[in-house]
Amino acid sequence: MERLQRASILLTLNEELRKAGSWAGETHMQKATFFLQGLMNIPLAFDFVLYKHGPFSFDLRDELTFMRAQGFFRLEPQNPYGPTLVAGEKSELLKQAFLQAINKHLSSIRFVSQKLGTKTVAGLERTATALYIVLRESDDVDPAQRLTTLKPHISLPEAQDAVSEVAQIRRELACERAS
Amino acid sequence: MGEIRDPIHVFVRFRPDEEKIIGSRAFQRLRYIHQLALTYLVYPGATHRRFEHCLGVMEVASRIYDVVTNPQNIYHDSVREFVPQDIFWREYWGRVLRCAALCHDLGHLPFSHAAEKELLPEGWDHERLSQEIIMGDEFEPLWKELKIEPEDVAKLALGKKKCKFEFSDWETILSEIIVGDVFGADRIDYLLRDSYHAGVSYGRFDHYRLIDTLRILPASPKDSQEPGLGIERGGLESAESLLWARYFMYTQLYFHPTRRIYDMHLMEFLKEWLPDGRFPTEVDEHMNFSDNEVTAGMWKSAADSTERGHVLAKRIVSREHFRWVYEPSSSDQLTALEPGKTVYDALVEKFGADQVRRDVNAQKGGSYDFPVYTKAKEIDSSLALSPTLSKVPTFSVDRVYVSTAVRDEAERWVAKNRDKIIAGTGGEEHSDGTPSES
Repeated sequence: MERLQRASILLTLNEELRKAGSWAGETHMQKATFFLQGLMNIPLAFDFVLYKHGPFSFDLRDELTFMRAQGFFRLEPQNPYGPTLVAGEKSELLKQAFLQAINKHLSSIRFVSQKLGTKTVAGLERTATALYIVLRESDDVDPAQRLTTLKPHISLPEAQDAVSEVAQIRRELACERAS
Repeated sequence: MGEIRDPIHVFVRFRPDEEKIIGSRAFQRLRYIHQLALTYLVYPGATHRRFEHCLGVMEVASRIYDVVTNPQNIYHDSVREFVPQDIFWREYWGRVLRCAALCHDLGHLPFSHAAEKELLPEGWDHERLSQEIIMGDEFEPLWKELKIEPEDVAKLALGKKKCKFEFSDWETILSEIIVGDVFGADRIDYLLRDSYHAGVSYGRFDHYRLIDTLRILPASPKDSQEPGLGIERGGLESAESLLWARYFMYTQLYFHPTRRIYDMHLMEFLKEWLPDGRFPTEVDEHMNFSDNEVTAGMWKSAADSTERGHVLAKRIVSREHFRWVYEPSSSDQLTALEPGKTVYDALVEKFGADQVRRDVNAQKGGSYDFPVYTKAKEIDSSLALSPTLSKVPTFSVDRVYVSTAVRDEAERWVAKNRDKIIAGTGGEEHSDGTPSES
């Protein structure tokens, strides 16, 4: 996917997260983008590793900074959590240039935003890490156990809830795609 | 302890076993790699090398480690649980950290060249080369003697971004001490050192206060407990100062227009001059390449028109670098999605691709959000507490350059046609004043 086209998808994701109740800071953008790429198969080509609050892409971090530099996003202070990312002065120009790509992926973006929009950072961390493990580790690994190993500050019951939630989201997605 | 005089840290002290790393061929090679590539052609004082930078990173990383692992500076049980209390392991990881700091830049290409995608085979970068050296034959006996696992050194030297090994929370924090985006010793040292040598004072900040107030903190006890590097409230101003210093160093030094075009010319020269247009990735061959070999080759090419890369070498050696003719104004930015590209395309059409270059780049890293331990013994976000951190601009460049041969004409042409090009109504006016089809 071409760079600015990808930026238009990130901009739309930010808008939809906001509509779904998220304060849409960088952590929210990171985890929701991981879902878009890993679960919805949108070819954004970001490389994710387990780092800050779960799946994290250094490329995506740099891309969000680039988008701020270009005026597609800006930071807006929002106490007590720190700033949120909001549409910048050039966002409309970007969206108009890539309306077709945005429309193609809009239902996927909305699905992810609905699932993650109201989560706290801790909630995002648990759910996104659970998806990361489910997608990347072999079937003989207990994903909840593995989650607590990778993230020792997450308890086993919290990890089990997160793994169940991911399974539920995948079932809903399968139903939606079937219909 | 041995000691080396250093203009930034006064003394850098090293242990006898670390002297073997410093004395290794891979580390000594860093004496011949300029920290800031060809920046010395713009700022004559900027001739410092990776060698002293790596010593400085070891010194700073070691100071940070001593501060953040001091039991009196650990305030939360969740942090206490994973910081080694056992003296053996604290000492082990302290040694690993110092070695990793020394070794973090071993894989740098000549002139610390950033255009690694162009100059190395796919999948390679200087971090991967560093890892190859750390885990390679020359260092194996050193690690055995030091009783250090090479994998631990590689993890801490490269960090999570570049190292594919699995990291514990503790290892993640230690790697952040070296290569972290906000408080990494690498960044602290290069800002101070580059500023000192280039004579650009904007890079200075109170690093003593900064280091003394660094802490390992949970991201937010009310939300995620994930630990990370943060700071005591009393150090917030020194952190602000560091991050503003970074911004000013980008604007004044790292993204200086002439420095940037020299980098582009050097990359073009290397692509033509190197066998197959790439640097080797085999460790022994990598070790044979430093700035010295490239500089000698460049001078030879510049002097002899039959040599590979003659024209490109001459641009650098004879200071015939391309000249900067355009960067988008704020109104251009609001009119076109990519004004720099639009003007670049128009100039290429008018003067030919070999006469025009475009430099597009932006600083890397995220926003400056880190935990702060307040006087009320609570954790708060730096961006909520600081009135300035969310206002540090994100610096980027989009510049178009042309050769000296067409410079005057190109400047006149851009001045005359700029608005029409940006508005997308064509580049060149015909004699009757109507835009051309292009």
